[in-house]
Amino acid sequence: MEAEYEKPLPGVTNLNRPYWEGLARHEFRLPHCHGCGHVWYPPAPWCPRCHSRDTGWAALSGRGRVNSWTVVHVTGLRGFRGDVPYNVAEVTLDEGPRLITNLVDIEPGSIRVGLPVEIVYDDVAEELTLARFRPLAAGQ
Amino acid sequence: MTTLELKDRAAVCGVGHSVYGRKLNRSAIDLAADAIGGAAEDAGLAPADIDGLIVSMGTPYGADADTLAQVLGLELKMYSQTWAHGRFAATCIQQAAMVVAAGMANVVACMASLSATGVRPGLSTQRRRRSGGRGPDREAAREGGGGHGQDPVYGIDAPDPGAAMATQAYFERYGATSRDLASVAVSFRRHASLNPAAVRRDPITVEDHQASRLMAAPLRLLDYPQLVDGAACVLVVRADHARNLRKPPVLISGMQPLPAGRDEFIWTYPGFGVAQQARRPYEAGTQPVYRMADMDRSAIDALFTYDGFSFLVWMALERWGFCNPGEAPGFTRDGRIEFDGALPMNTSGGSLSEAHLMGWNQQVEIVRQLRGECGDRQVSGAEVIQWANAYGDSLIYRR
Ligand SMILES: [Zn+2]
Repeated sequence: MEAEYEKPLPGVTNLNRPYWEGLARHEFRLPHCHGCGHVWYPPAPWCPRCHSRDTGWAALSGRGRVNSWTVVHVTGLRGFRGDVPYNVAEVTLDEGPRLITNLVDIEPGSIRVGLPVEIVYDDVAEELTLARFRPLAAGQ
Repeated sequence: MTTLELKDRAAVCGVGHSVYGRKLNRSAIDLAADAIGGAAEDAGLAPADIDGLIVSMGTPYGADADTLAQVLGLELKMYSQTWAHGRFAATCIQQAAMVVAAGMANVVACMASLSATGVRPGLSTQRRRRSGGRGPDREAAREGGGGHGQDPVYGIDAPDPGAAMATQAYFERYGATSRDLASVAVSFRRHASLNPAAVRRDPITVEDHQASRLMAAPLRLLDYPQLVDGAACVLVVRADHARNLRKPPVLISGMQPLPAGRDEFIWTYPGFGVAQQARRPYEAGTQPVYRMADMDRSAIDALFTYDGFSFLVWMALERWGFCNPGEAPGFTRDGRIEFDGALPMNTSGGSLSEAHLMGWNQQVEIVRQLRGECGDRQVSGAEVIQWANAYGDSLIYRR
């Protein structure tokens, strides 16, 4: 953990607090609908597919595939300037939603759309864990 | 109940703009006055004739509508403003067309003014320097996420990485390359070289594009827009009113509003399959704007689109059915989108080379093309021009 975390912090609200608290406990959960089974991101007060308020939080597999990716060479963002070039990826979770994330344990030249990945709980600061992803080991 | 018939009911009677450039050291209100005053003069009207004002952007990068009215002494029957985001040029002009058709105001100035690189009241650049970078962009910090796919927690608060990811998905899906994208930048720079108002007028080649630095890969510097200070204004009046003014009217024949939802994303059309979009085959079909204008794509003499990144030109061509998904890289080759090509696009140089004014400079250029005022870059015989964006809104203008 860094002594002082200089990167942007998530905007935690009553809607997304369970998500961030789950990550801090190394649990990957997203809202899901008891009515239609839909799983979605970002958190919402009702199901964005059927508008049911009968919703809860489902534990997810933490697996997905790279939907797209970029390597950022220029950023004005505090805390990330020392990291360039760094990757940003969009991962499609096996359950359907897509998340913006960073890939770890991979060189930019090896990143491809469709690459299978799994979650890595990255404890970046006290009470802040990010959902990063790494390539799924062959055969898994 | 029948729907309100708006085809050809409103017209643009005047256009104006300030000088465009980086670090002009001029306030957004100052720049706005040049655009509003220039548009009024173009129409043969005075600022006192303006009784409606619709502003795109506003604080923190530009001047707000209520402030402009007070400071510039405009007596307005109506004003409105979209939030500080760039996608609302057509939204503003469509609202103006409805306002004048309904008789709520007679002369509606639609505009944006930006002082993004220079005078920023209340923002200390000293503090920004000390901290070794800035905090997240306001747009990126919106609850529920930034509109361009930003997530500052993972290192993206600016629009470009989201556009880069859309581009990368397209590249890998269709086998297109950065070299293919270069032809868009090269064509628009040729237009800018013929436009005295453009901020970048030096011609470029595909090799120049390929040698320009990577920003958010695969996008390079020459895929990026010219972020400048400046202002541009379009005056909208009833069509019958416009016929009595100084310049020939440019009629607003078709309008299609800006859609939103989980299948809409600023960089890609529905079904493309990024952000939370479903992934499914896309067919442009007959878009409402053509039905309203009572014409089809074959009537379009030139196509203008928001080119905040070169890739958006491909998205617009495919969204609006000028070519099928995956065909845009071929479509934009060999000067086919240049002013003397098969489908002229963004003849002022667009955001990529004239100025990034969120599409407002493009509205000015469309009107001038339809009046035949564009000199060396005039599209010969231009009668119908469409403004149509990757994110789904459109206007059809005709002379
Ligand atoms: Zn549901």
